[in-house]
Amino acid sequence: MNDIREDNRFKSYIGETDLESVTLDGTQRTKFLEGETIVSEAQKVLLYAPLSDRKKYVVGVLTVTTFKLSFVCAEEVEFCGQQNNLLGINDVCLSSIDVIYQVSDRTKKKLSPGQNITGRIKDILVVCKNMKSFEFSFKMSDRDSGKNIVNALLHHAYPKRHTLLFAYDYKEPHINSILPKEVRLFQTRLDWEKELKRTKCQNWRVSHVNINYQISPLLIETIIVPQSVTDNIIKEAVEKFRSRGCPVWVWGTSKGAALVRMADLLPTVTDRTEENKLLEHIRKSHPEKRVPHIIDLSFPTPKDINVSYLKLRELCTPDNTRLFKSQDFKFYGLLDSTKWLFFVSVCLTKANEAAEHISILESTVVLQEGNGQDLNCISLIQKDWVVLGHPFANRLGHILCKEIDQSPLFLLFLDCVWQLLQQFPSAFQISETYLTTLWDSAHISVFDTFLFNCQHQRFMAEYGSSNGHPPLILRSVWDWREQFSERDIIQFCNPLYDDSYQAILKPHTGLSGLEIWTQCYFRWLPDLEIRKGGRPQIDLYSRYIVSEILQFQQGLGELNGKLNENKEECISLMKKVNSFYPFSYNSELGGNDPIDSVLLTGDTLDSQSILNFND
Amino acid sequence: MNRKTGSIELLEMDNSSFSKNLTLDGFRTESKANLLNKQETTIWGKTSPSKSYCSSSSTSTENVVSTLERKKTVASEPGASSRPDDPPLLPGEKVTGQARDVTYLCPYHGPARGTLTVTNYKLYFKSGDKDTPLVVEVPLGVVSRIEKVGGASSRGENAYGIEVFCKDMRNLRFAHKQENHSRRNVFEKLQTFAFPLSHKSKLFAFDYSETFPENGWVVYEPIAELKRMGVNNDMWKISKINEQYEICDSYPAVWAVPAQATDDELKIVANYRSRGRIPVLSWIHTESQATITRCSQPLVGVGGKRCKEDEHYVQLIMDANAQSHKMFIMDARPSANAIANKAKGGGYESEDAYQHAELVFLDIHNIHVMRESLRKLKELCYPNIDETKWLSGLESTYWLKHIKCILAGAVRIVDKVESHKTSVLVHCSDGWDRTAQLTALSMLMLDPYYRTIKGFEVLIEKEWVSFGHKFQQRIGHGDDHHSDADRSPIFLQFIDCVWQVTQQFPNAFEFNDYFLITILDHLYSCRFGTFLCNSERERVQEKLKEQTVSLWSYTNSNLDLYKNPLYWANVLQQRVLVPIASLRHIKLWKAYYCRWNPSMRTQDPVYQRIRELLKLKEQLEQKAEECRKEQQQRMQRSNVSPT
Repeated sequence: MNDIREDNRFKSYIGETDLESVTLDGTQRTKFLEGETIVSEAQKVLLYAPLSDRKKYVVGVLTVTTFKLSFVCAEEVEFCGQQNNLLGINDVCLSSIDVIYQVSDRTKKKLSPGQNITGRIKDILVVCKNMKSFEFSFKMSDRDSGKNIVNALLHHAYPKRHTLLFAYDYKEPHINSILPKEVRLFQTRLDWEKELKRTKCQNWRVSHVNINYQISPLLIETIIVPQSVTDNIIKEAVEKFRSRGCPVWVWGTSKGAALVRMADLLPTVTDRTEENKLLEHIRKSHPEKRVPHIIDLSFPTPKDINVSYLKLRELCTPDNTRLFKSQDFKFYGLLDSTKWLFFVSVCLTKANEAAEHISILESTVVLQEGNGQDLNCISLIQKDWVVLGHPFANRLGHILCKEIDQSPLFLLFLDCVWQLLQQFPSAFQISETYLTTLWDSAHISVFDTFLFNCQHQRFMAEYGSSNGHPPLILRSVWDWREQFSERDIIQFCNPLYDDSYQAILKPHTGLSGLEIWTQCYFRWLPDLEIRKGGRPQIDLYSRYIVSEILQFQQGLGELNGKLNENKEECISLMKKVNSFYPFSYNSELGGNDPIDSVLLTGDTLDSQSILNFND
Repeated sequence: MNRKTGSIELLEMDNSSFSKNLTLDGFRTESKANLLNKQETTIWGKTSPSKSYCSSSSTSTENVVSTLERKKTVASEPGASSRPDDPPLLPGEKVTGQARDVTYLCPYHGPARGTLTVTNYKLYFKSGDKDTPLVVEVPLGVVSRIEKVGGASSRGENAYGIEVFCKDMRNLRFAHKQENHSRRNVFEKLQTFAFPLSHKSKLFAFDYSETFPENGWVVYEPIAELKRMGVNNDMWKISKINEQYEICDSYPAVWAVPAQATDDELKIVANYRSRGRIPVLSWIHTESQATITRCSQPLVGVGGKRCKEDEHYVQLIMDANAQSHKMFIMDARPSANAIANKAKGGGYESEDAYQHAELVFLDIHNIHVMRESLRKLKELCYPNIDETKWLSGLESTYWLKHIKCILAGAVRIVDKVESHKTSVLVHCSDGWDRTAQLTALSMLMLDPYYRTIKGFEVLIEKEWVSFGHKFQQRIGHGDDHHSDADRSPIFLQFIDCVWQVTQQFPNAFEFNDYFLITILDHLYSCRFGTFLCNSERERVQEKLKEQTVSLWSYTNSNLDLYKNPLYWANVLQQRVLVPIASLRHIKLWKAYYCRWNPSMRTQDPVYQRIRELLKLKEQLEQKAEECRKEQQQRMQRSNVSPT
């Protein structure tokens, strides 16, 4: 009887160093996409189990391609979670890789992009943007394997030019959108005209002054401005604002309250007359000529958020049990020092403020921030389809109206939505699995959604540009069928969603009302997974009830295919899934799982006193 | 019927007190309330204004503010003039004093003027606002300390009055007008009835005379419970050696001990264990026969005294489990404390003396550390939260760390018993605080029976009440020594741990957190006899079963209120639960610790929604059934009719 859990994915091998090569059958081998090419490959590479202190591993083949880093092994894994069509269980898209470390027993050395390694490499640690990390060892591989793999990664994972991204090479025909009709991507003129009409917001007009990105490459082509603002006024105004971002309408109510986005004036412009003039136009466009409420979004800055994200990631990617345990003992203090939840709180508070002014006080809100494209987006989306309680699907497209180029910002936004989902579990059509998947997908370089900074860049890429690069096939991340099967897509729906839920959400935005997004941040640490417990149990049970209800209603109403999952499947899943489902790699079937020991034994519990621990 | 109308109809299901803590937002609450008003006749648990603390606010988020009252009780004397300011009274409760023109200084909604009433059970304040009176109700058992604020020379509004410090994470301040001379009377009445034991009178539980259809005193029958686990058997016997509480006065009358152990041996072992608390059976694995036994520390002392009989007796416990040739002794204390106890005549089992036993220290701190930790937590949570210091503040209370240690200890016991089929002996110093936490928690994780409502009641009755957790001392019922060093929130900590496990396994428990909060409220209220006294012997002497009502009579008469809609025992009975004892999962139980703050959103809309869906499903099932019957009848008719 031993204390160490035998993870069915990872076994302890002894005396197998003379292994000739890893033999894989056809289903186990790395699969390649159309246009993807192999850069480097290494045999007999060890992948260590997370938090195993290099005591447990599997042996396999590690490949670097133009698209991904892929590890495959001969171990049979029963896996009932989410399966990506583009990436295997141990694959990671190159654009998702953030840091590569060379590791030895005691040290960890960060390797920099573009660096050329000449010496031998034994162990590496690859940390990804979505907080997954891999630790590989080349000690059983050929002498140069490690070096070659690392050099391939250092070269291909950090492309210097945009056109070197895999999206430009990906030749697979696009399974064009079976996107539901209501998902508007807000890329065309018509979308915006319709939106203005739909909201019945008066005194605003569509302007085509930016057609072909004539006046500002960062604005969208079709903009909506106060009725009284002529195209000439806009042309003059963009000269004064940072990133040429004049105030534009994003959303409004039939009562005349609008949500407006605006950049700061250029630092060289000291006279605020231009800004005031435009604000005056905005005021006039309100039916009661109310002064708009300006919300300053200059804090936190993208840099603040990035620093915070890095600290959060450190807390979520401990690479040995000692660190894991010591973090655990002061977890709340460490979490506090990342400031992550504090920033979530700030964003939610501002989004709340915007929503309150628009919906309750019925006044126009102007969101003003630096160059008008970072946090604006966050608050905007929250207000727009979240805080005002619009069904998600109708509104997704808004994300596209201004891309979030920096992933931590996007994560912050997703975290805010997740917090709302916790506080209002029946107000959203989407599930937390959806939000987590969105975060993962943001780093897959075949989708254009998160590749570009603005509509203009996308436009240039699509039609090929001066540098003679072939045109890019645009594929949207919203086209989930590119990545997942129907079975996985079902998990994106929130079974608790109540479609009659119309009220304005008034979230608790203080830190004491927020929680840590366990599924997204901890799913790569199997020791933290609750066996046969956690949130999936609630979700699967609700799915089961809802499918029963739909079955009864079948005769009366139309069948909702998405939720009418087989109830037997629900029950059988409930019996085996763990708390990180569908991102769980722990799913063992049957048997009595020995209890994991990392958290129970060792220095922490046997130390003299937990109180001394921190002092 | 479509889904929408369905879900509106569903709202009426929430006629229980759940509606208080499950409101979603202003709009919905309102429509729900309207709906409820129309059908008031059948509704007894409706949120009446007398229930909610600070109910004058129009805020949409109401917390579980009180579990103390389920229905409006009938005024004790039917003919008595009942003025609108008079509190609703329980059977056996009577008004003892009343003061008008008192101002309640609500930390959330500002001062409110009204009438303060003191009964032999509670303090009751009702503000003068006609439409939405503010009501504060505190059972006097909850009060730990009462202080006068300001004197004759006090100037300024509201400077002269009374401050009441409570055991349930709140303090209340009332301001009196000096010229009314009402303070003295209120203060004296509060002292008398909050601390009856200091005034040579009895606790309210002895006056309380409500009757319930269920009798909670019969929930736990020690022999029936042992039989449920398969004792007597070859290895374990039921012993009545302690029937007169002569071997150990803090243990119950009935024990299960190894079948081989003789009475003489038991007596010698009792002399070697602190306060005679010898190792006896708490739980036995019905298949593997691995056991959890509990005791107090051995009396080793500085000299390293040994006891042959004790060593043999522990060997018998190990031998009773054929599956393993080893056993574990889990000492709940930090090793430093265990060593320090040698100086006071106590200590721990040396592995030399107990050859097949492995000793493990679980690093859980003593009652004084826990008391201090909760004090800090109260400071953090009440009355208002400083959001910027929330996380660091939480860290500095150590409360969650203590919870983690207790949970980790219980998981280790579960691991040994379940995965290694090894028996575990648990003790701390006296074996009535940390030991009770550990055995009860590990039993809860090992045995699904204890996760049902009645099973959980049995678990509390057995591991806590019968094995002599000193409730009287730890809570200080009716006693005015508020700074007594024996007081400590050990039982609260246990309930918190249970809550943590329910959070990790949302469908494994028959009960919801309202049940847990109800238990905690009555831990202090002194309305029921369940948590009075320190031991079974004292309870028998006090004739508690005859003279007081059991808390379980109250809960079991209204089980629906405490049921978890996610509990799905018959389909998915999961035998063993292994929670993750990591601070990354352990959370502060805001619905309990922060419940007085109306801005804390503590309701659980997930349960609310699932209840709605279940109700809808039930309705549809009924409808389908009706349709089927109707069709059948029609078929029969058409068969019968000859044409």
